[in-house]
Amino acid sequence: MSITDTRKGQWWFRRGRFYTSHALLFLFALTTLFPFTWMVLASFKPLSEIRQTNPLPSEWHPENYTDVLNSKDISFKKYYFNSVFVAAWVTLLTCFTSSLAAYAFARMCWPGRDAVFKLYLATMMVPGVVTMIPNYTLMVQLHLLDSYLGLIVPASFSAFGTFLLRQFMLTISPSLDEAATMDGASHWRIYWDIILPLARPGLIVLSIFTFMGNYGSFFWPLVLIKSEHLRTLPIGMLYFDSIYGRQTNLIMAASVMNIVPLIVLFVVMQRHLVRGIQLGAVKG
Amino acid sequence: MKYVFLSLFLVMSALSVAAWWWQPVAENDRIELVWCSDDNPMRREQIALFNQLYPQYRLKLDPQNSTMEKVIVQCLAGVGPDVFDCYSGFQLTAFVRSGIALDSTEALLQRGVDPSAVWPCLRPLVTLDGREYGHPDNAHAPAMWFNKAIFDEAGEPYPPNDWTWTEFIEIAQRLTKRDSRGRPVRFGFIGYWDWQSALAQWGANIYTSEGTRSVLDEPKACQAVQFMQDLIYKHKVMPTPTEEAAMSGSGGWGAGAQGGGIIDLFGAGRGAMAIGGRWWLCLLRNETYSKLRLGAVELPRGPSRRVFGGGRSTLVNAKSHNIEGALCFLEYLHSQPWNDLINEQADALAPVKKYNYTEGFLYNPEHPEEDYNAVWRSALENAEPMQVSAYVNGQTVDRILVEQLDMVKANVKPATRAMRDAARKINEAIVEQLRLDPELREQYYAAVKRGARPAWDREEDAP
Amino acid sequence: MGPRRGRALRRRLSATIIAGAFLLPNFLGFVIFTFGPVVFSLAASFTNWNLMKTVPLQWVGLDNFLKLMQSPDFHRYFVNTAYLMLGLPVAIAGSLLLAVILSQPLRGVVVYRTLFYLPSFTSGVALFILWKALYNPEFGPINQVLETLFDWAGLTSVKAPTWLTSTQNPLALAVEYAGFSPDQFGLGARDAIIIMGIWTAVGGGNLLLYLAGISNIPQDLYEAAEMDGAGACSKFRHVTWPQLAPTTFFIVVMSFIGGLQGGFEQARVMTLGGPAGTTTTLSYYIYVKAFEEFQIGYASAIAWILFIIIFAVTLLNWRFGSRYVNY
Repeated sequence: MSITDTRKGQWWFRRGRFYTSHALLFLFALTTLFPFTWMVLASFKPLSEIRQTNPLPSEWHPENYTDVLNSKDISFKKYYFNSVFVAAWVTLLTCFTSSLAAYAFARMCWPGRDAVFKLYLATMMVPGVVTMIPNYTLMVQLHLLDSYLGLIVPASFSAFGTFLLRQFMLTISPSLDEAATMDGASHWRIYWDIILPLARPGLIVLSIFTFMGNYGSFFWPLVLIKSEHLRTLPIGMLYFDSIYGRQTNLIMAASVMNIVPLIVLFVVMQRHLVRGIQLGAVKG
Repeated sequence: MKYVFLSLFLVMSALSVAAWWWQPVAENDRIELVWCSDDNPMRREQIALFNQLYPQYRLKLDPQNSTMEKVIVQCLAGVGPDVFDCYSGFQLTAFVRSGIALDSTEALLQRGVDPSAVWPCLRPLVTLDGREYGHPDNAHAPAMWFNKAIFDEAGEPYPPNDWTWTEFIEIAQRLTKRDSRGRPVRFGFIGYWDWQSALAQWGANIYTSEGTRSVLDEPKACQAVQFMQDLIYKHKVMPTPTEEAAMSGSGGWGAGAQGGGIIDLFGAGRGAMAIGGRWWLCLLRNETYSKLRLGAVELPRGPSRRVFGGGRSTLVNAKSHNIEGALCFLEYLHSQPWNDLINEQADALAPVKKYNYTEGFLYNPEHPEEDYNAVWRSALENAEPMQVSAYVNGQTVDRILVEQLDMVKANVKPATRAMRDAARKINEAIVEQLRLDPELREQYYAAVKRGARPAWDREEDAP
Repeated sequence: MGPRRGRALRRRLSATIIAGAFLLPNFLGFVIFTFGPVVFSLAASFTNWNLMKTVPLQWVGLDNFLKLMQSPDFHRYFVNTAYLMLGLPVAIAGSLLLAVILSQPLRGVVVYRTLFYLPSFTSGVALFILWKALYNPEFGPINQVLETLFDWAGLTSVKAPTWLTSTQNPLALAVEYAGFSPDQFGLGARDAIIIMGIWTAVGGGNLLLYLAGISNIPQDLYEAAEMDGAGACSKFRHVTWPQLAPTTFFIVVMSFIGGLQGGFEQARVMTLGGPAGTTTTLSYYIYVKAFEEFQIGYASAIAWILFIIIFAVTLLNWRFGSRYVNY
């Protein structure tokens, strides 16, 4: 790739750098993996071995996991469902509303377009807490405290998503929809049949970001949700952590279960993600 | 792409139906009542008994919203519970002033509830300006738990009922054990760092009697808190915050104070003595603590013999759709079945005094080893109500106190300076609150006119 | 007006209406849940609004802001927030180093890149709870490793840090006032959070941005440098680093913005803002004020001060950023 050393004859130099690089990478990888490994191993230990220094459990206890899932005090399965359910709805709605708006910004001409777009961009800088407080009082007024709707609706209109998809749509050649317009296709047809399929990579990236963000969302459910059966995983984890105090092995089992879906999603999607992050950072 | 969209949409709609179906089922044969209280293993039985006595209702627990602010906002937003718990006189004032607590004076009278039959230290939890707003659930005053197993093993005689703090320190030092690295194996004293009990015993106060000014900076209060700090760093009979966090698992700050972590440590034999209440039995009767043999004595004698007592009360949401049912719940709290159940479960002590003067209370046939019930009763007999001020936000005070006491507990600040700063900050918060709230200001000035000491020293600082 | 112009106007009008229809769902949500609240919270920050309704609503002008400026609590929490941001340069430098290594033609680059990204992808409550256990002063693996190392090096008198329960810090900042106090020298809760933050961020989005930046550097620049006989270090200094300046600038600004808003989840999950308030950041303070004490007006004022700082930083970015971009 870019930094290649073409000086010939200095094999020792290249060798040296090769080994240093690998050693450094390996060291970093170890540091990255160490907490995860400890977590997984601890989740299989009996409680008495958490305090001991042996890295491997003397006897593996997969029942820690079933203990968490079948716990009387918390309904972990329901938290799982709630998190995935809320995150999936938000993702779907965000993709839909954002792609519509992005189409209007990227593929249509109308007066005031750039001004509205600048407004969108400007609000992306606003810290979350600024809008959080009025949104909370709004939820109080609308009687949406403690409901799925209160979790889903406010999160479903993303300025960032609109921005990201607009960036993607701008890269699609304008000749396509010109041709379609010639054929008498309506804007809805062009959006639905031409642009949307071509914007697929962008939609995938936006889906991953939105899903991930809402699956792990903490602040909003923390202030909004009061019923046990509506709790999402992060809130459930917090509660679990506070009532199970010393049972570190169960807490670690719960944590593992919490992040497994993310790891799966990540491994499957990681190629798309890399591109998405790099594109999202390009300033519009 | 569009098919993906459409099919996802269908899937999510199906899931929504599933989510709807997975909601807790509301059965229509009975009227539902929601009770906002803390989650405690004993609640299940307490609720079942109510449902059995009042078959027209189905009582449900809402355990996660017992903080005052949440209850108030939810009640105002119309999603509040029918009945909710109140933990202090300050909370009662806030509930009443925000208009969500129902004045039930007449209704209680009609139902034959006698408000004066409860323990005196519980009165501030239900009565404000001569009006009744609810009924207490239980009563609590602190005494000293000790683990007989540890005393026996060390050949130490059990503490007598009239002992002093000096004797306490000597016993605790003899029972503290450390390993060769200096790591603690067992402490003579563990449990909550109960500075309020020390305050009471030293004859000090948080506020003046009218709650108009914090007097934590007076020498007696400083001495009491200094004593608590010395237990950790001078006499070394109590864990430092670090040692406590290390013992209680996840090791975060505050982990010990939540979810009974400290009680668990005591139950697991990591300490010989602990200041606590009878309600610890709710957790300690559990068979995981089979090696624990409990005893209890009154607190050692300090300069004063005072203790602060308190408890929990339940109030009625004025916006409830089932006020009748909510009042039935208050009636239930006054009845013998409830009071006997509380004593039997050891969820502290029965709120109505007379039910604590029975044979059944002193000697529970199912728990013959519990020979110390008289101790808890006599602690309550000496108890004064917990001190609060109606003139300042309780959460703000908590934050100020937690920060200052954290520093005392971590030995980064001497008690005298911390208490002086805490008092100053609380008094500033009082002035601040008065500036905001004209109605409160009027009450406050009326109290000052009657001779109460104001929160400011110089006239120009007055709100 | 001729018929043609009329038709054109009608077409433009209908195009605008159609565009409006496309925009509407998102725009409605945007106005209700983002733009409206921004305006609303600005207004709220000039009032004494309290959700508990025991206090009559009043317009208090700049009172909240003036009170904040004089409040020692606000100053301390601001210092805490700034202190926690000290980890950012380390994390950014780490990302850069990794990116330079990873952009070489080595085997397993994709695997490494995936692995490094894992912490930031899974970051959240579960990982904070995990780190709480890692930092346990007695049985946590971090201190177990440290103690073994100390024993091995013969430093038996050295004690491992107590991490989340300690108020100490390497700068010896005093706990309560803006100043220094020698007995505060050591490692404490804030450092624990910083180290965790570096671990999370090094392999995250910043690394990917640097990788993209490096792959965009024209190859002939390196070739030219080699003609001049430049070594690896000098190539980094004269080609890679200046070429990456826009990326670095972007990352620094974004990290700064993120850092100012950060610390809430860590404080709520790991420390409850303690010990002695040392891990209370501004965002946690806003949460406490708004959702525990319900002083909405005051909390909005804090949020707006944050916003003003962030806005200023972004403006600086626009002013001076272009200079770097056109390097």
